[in-house]
Amino acid sequence: MSLLTAKAIGKNFGGVVALDDVSLTVENGEIVGMIGPNGSGKTTFINNLSGLYAPSNGEFIFNEEDITGLAAHVITAKGISRTFQNLRVFPNISVLENVLVGLHCRINVSLWDVYFRFLKTRKAESQAKEKAMAVLEVADLASRKNDLAKNLPYGKQRLLEICRAIVSDPHLLLLDEPCAGMNPVEMDELADFIKVLQKKGITVFVIEHNMRFIMSVAERIIVLANGAKFQEGTPAQIQNDKKVQAIYLGDEGDI
Amino acid sequence: MKFNSLLENPIYVKAGYILAILLALFLPKIVSDMYYLGIVNYMILYAILCMGLNLILGYTGLLSLGHAAFYGLGGYTTAILITRYGFSFLSCLIISGIVALLFGILLGIPTRKVRGDYFCLLTIAFGEIFRLVAQAWIEFTNGAMGIVGIPIPKIFGWSIRTESDFYYLGLTLLGFTYITLALLVNSKFGRAFIAIREDELAASVMGINTALYKIIVFAIGCFYAGLAGSYLAVYQTTITPSNFRLEESCLMIIMVIVGGMGSLLAPIAGVIVMTIATEYFRGISEYRMLIIGVIMVAVLLFRPQGIFGTSAFKS
Repeated sequence: MSLLTAKAIGKNFGGVVALDDVSLTVENGEIVGMIGPNGSGKTTFINNLSGLYAPSNGEFIFNEEDITGLAAHVITAKGISRTFQNLRVFPNISVLENVLVGLHCRINVSLWDVYFRFLKTRKAESQAKEKAMAVLEVADLASRKNDLAKNLPYGKQRLLEICRAIVSDPHLLLLDEPCAGMNPVEMDELADFIKVLQKKGITVFVIEHNMRFIMSVAERIIVLANGAKFQEGTPAQIQNDKKVQAIYLGDEGDI
Repeated sequence: MKFNSLLENPIYVKAGYILAILLALFLPKIVSDMYYLGIVNYMILYAILCMGLNLILGYTGLLSLGHAAFYGLGGYTTAILITRYGFSFLSCLIISGIVALLFGILLGIPTRKVRGDYFCLLTIAFGEIFRLVAQAWIEFTNGAMGIVGIPIPKIFGWSIRTESDFYYLGLTLLGFTYITLALLVNSKFGRAFIAIREDELAASVMGINTALYKIIVFAIGCFYAGLAGSYLAVYQTTITPSNFRLEESCLMIIMVIVGGMGSLLAPIAGVIVMTIATEYFRGISEYRMLIIGVIMVAVLLFRPQGIFGTSAFKS
């Protein structure tokens, strides 16, 4: 059974068809890439999957469970977390606190515990801090844990956003253009980091425009065009596909 | 900035806290003039209100202009229960807090999904509805005359009569407010509230049920307003609708912004500055609002995060 099955996902905004009959599967432990020209519906797909929108048609099956149209916070608790295309770290709180927010749904403390069971709450807090620090160590951000997130360099903020997403131990991590605005060195670091995540058992679904990056990271690539699935294959197959080249060169002119 | 580095030095901060606590405990021994002690009591009252409001405004970023209504709900609950039904003060205090909390939930439910300006308008509307009802429902609230002759409160045989007694009652409530708020904001809930302020969409993707949390934070903030209202009722011995006008809500917001948002004790600085300013300039009557305006503009220009605040105001 696949980790994620998307069955004929469709999404209309009024009369505009943003996604049309997109079906795909993601297997446990793989790194799947999604590419496509601007406006082809990549981000809309992720937004539907992560619960920010409800799809108009079709269904998402995750871990053999129908998660179509559930609220975003419920889907996160079930083990899908994500980052955003336009960086969305919490700017005015520290790096450590950003990651701790990511752990929110894994800290098992109720309001009752907060007021009447101090020891349980304190223990849960210190465990959460240890866990958050462990993730920051892996991303080499531990030394900057007390800095405000907005004071980190851009590439580090991107990394922080990923840390915040993976600290809750998701089964599936959705990355929406993680390379946007990064320099080549930061891109290579990110590619290495994603491979570390794969070794830790996280399945990664990554949207990216940068071909060099996606070809080096992804094991399988899905191409979207005009809201529909256009092609699917290994990086080598996609690179040599004349039709894929055509939609890219036709629309944008840069590969 | 020099002031910032002073705030970051743990020795100065610790010494400052110890000094403040000692001063707070023995203040009535030092200040013998009842007029001044009375002003301090109002400061404590506003400190409780503003710390509750800061949870809503400073931590969660919800601009509520209806805080005076919840303050009033507490005040009327206590006034009516004590004068008509002979409840003890302590039970009135608790019930007042709970009434404000319940109304906070009631207002929180329809406003949970509206953002920014609309939330602000709805809270203004609620505040005005409350005041008009308090004015018009004469059989229940005695209308614009208000409820008078609220008796001296007694807690376990301790009757609270003098300014100094009220000072210690207020200080106890303030201590309770601080401790309970500190427990809340230092837990995962406090972080969730801040996350909602920083970026609501990202917060929802972090597994935070933002709609539910906004209701919770609003209701908890209102609970403290209910406590403060109850204290006001027994302290003033009268309650009238004009105690809870929109101007009161605005004043609380000014105090929170001047003191600093997003840090538990910072609003107290705003309370002290604004109370002293209003009292000091009492002689020039309505022109003092001019001076308060100038103070506020100066703070927003030179220290947008407030005197001790950590997060700047954004709408």
